[in-house]
This record gives sequence, C-alpha cells and structure tokens, in this order.
Amino acid sequence: MNKLQTRFGEVEYDPETTLRFPQGLIGFEDLRQFIVMPNQKQGPLFWIQSVEDPQVAFVLSDPTNFFLDYRVVPEQGERDKLGMNEGDECFVLSVVTVHPDRSITFNLAAPILFAPASNRAMQVILEKTHYQTRTPLPTC
Amino acid sequence: MLVLTRKAGEGIIIGDNIRVSVVEVRGGGIRIGIDAPVEMKIHRQEVYDRILKENKEATQWELVDLNDVSDLLVTRKGSQ
Repeated sequence: MNKLQTRFGEVEYDPETTLRFPQGLIGFEDLRQFIVMPNQKQGPLFWIQSVEDPQVAFVLSDPTNFFLDYRVVPEQGERDKLGMNEGDECFVLSVVTVHPDRSITFNLAAPILFAPASNRAMQVILEKTHYQTRTPLPTC
Repeated sequence: MLVLTRKAGEGIIIGDNIRVSVVEVRGGGIRIGIDAPVEMKIHRQEVYDRILKENKEATQWELVDLNDVSDLLVTRKGSQ
C-alpha cells in the first residue's frame, strides 16, 4: 500500500488498482493515475483523487441516474484507447461540479468513458450535441 | 505561429496525414474541411476551452459540501 497526502488528508491506496487515464483529462493531460475514493455518504456521488497531483480531485457520478435517456457509445478509436475487447462493458460517468451554494451540475458535454475490464478511463468531448457542460439536476 | 494566406479551394498539409482545406469563404465565416486519421480528435476551440474551464472549476470543491449534497440527494430520491 502507498500513502498520499491530499488536501482531504492522508489516503492509503493500492497502486495496482488505481484508475488509469492514458490521456489524462482535458486540461489535466499529465494526470494519468487516480484513486477511486470510497463514499463517506450514501448516494450517487463519489470522487477520484489524482495520485500525481494531491490538489486535484473530481466528483463523479453515473448521469443515467438523473438523465434517463443519456447515452454515449464509444467509437472504435476510443475502445482501442480503453484497451477494450469485443464484448467488454463500458460505463459512462460525468464530472460533477459542486458549487459553493451546494448546487451541483453535470458536465454532459464531456463524459468519462470507463472500461472496468482494463480499469482505464478517458474523457471525451461530444461534438454536435445539445448537452451542456453545466447541466443542473432535472427538477422532479 | 505560422501564418499562411489561402483562398477557397486551397489547402494545407500538416505532417503525413492531416489535410486542411478552405471550402468556402462567405460573409464573416470560413468553412474549413479537415482530413485526418479517425483517432485524431478535432474540436472547436471554444468547446474545448469551455470544457477545460469546467474541469478546472470541478476540482474546487470541499468535502463538507459534497457530504451535504449527498445527504440532500438521498432525501430527494426518498421523496420521489
């Protein structure tokens, strides 16, 4: 187990099981390795902590919990970068912005594709969509 | 930065496998055609910049806020 000092305190992690972003995230291209942090609370939000930069952590969530018809299918080039084989699953996650007023928005314009089999992920930009970078939760 | 003047129908070759051509010049806009390998991602600058900005903002959160939001979401789900 390795230890990392983050802005949330000390985190212990197994370097073998970290989530890999072979291309980083947009604007964070050098950050390739993230720790998936266990939830302190129930609910759909969780967060990933960068191993390379202790200051950087992203809140993520499965957008289909809230946006029922949201679907992103990886293209072949993306499947290759994720190291996916025929029949491998791919999940879609959103970067969630937690605003100071405690509202949250989902970045539906740039989802994260996650392939559990390879433990790799990548952020993609959806061109030609109406999805917004700051999508508020639908009102119920 | 390399700056070149091109007319409609003319193009530029970048490296071995990228070709950029000016399709049409009309009004204040220029239509650009790009031939590039499929794995090469091409984005409008403002779209890329917007996502970069949102990613940076998304790192500026506090654990206490996340915990409160999670509690609110659980309540919300329970009320549905």
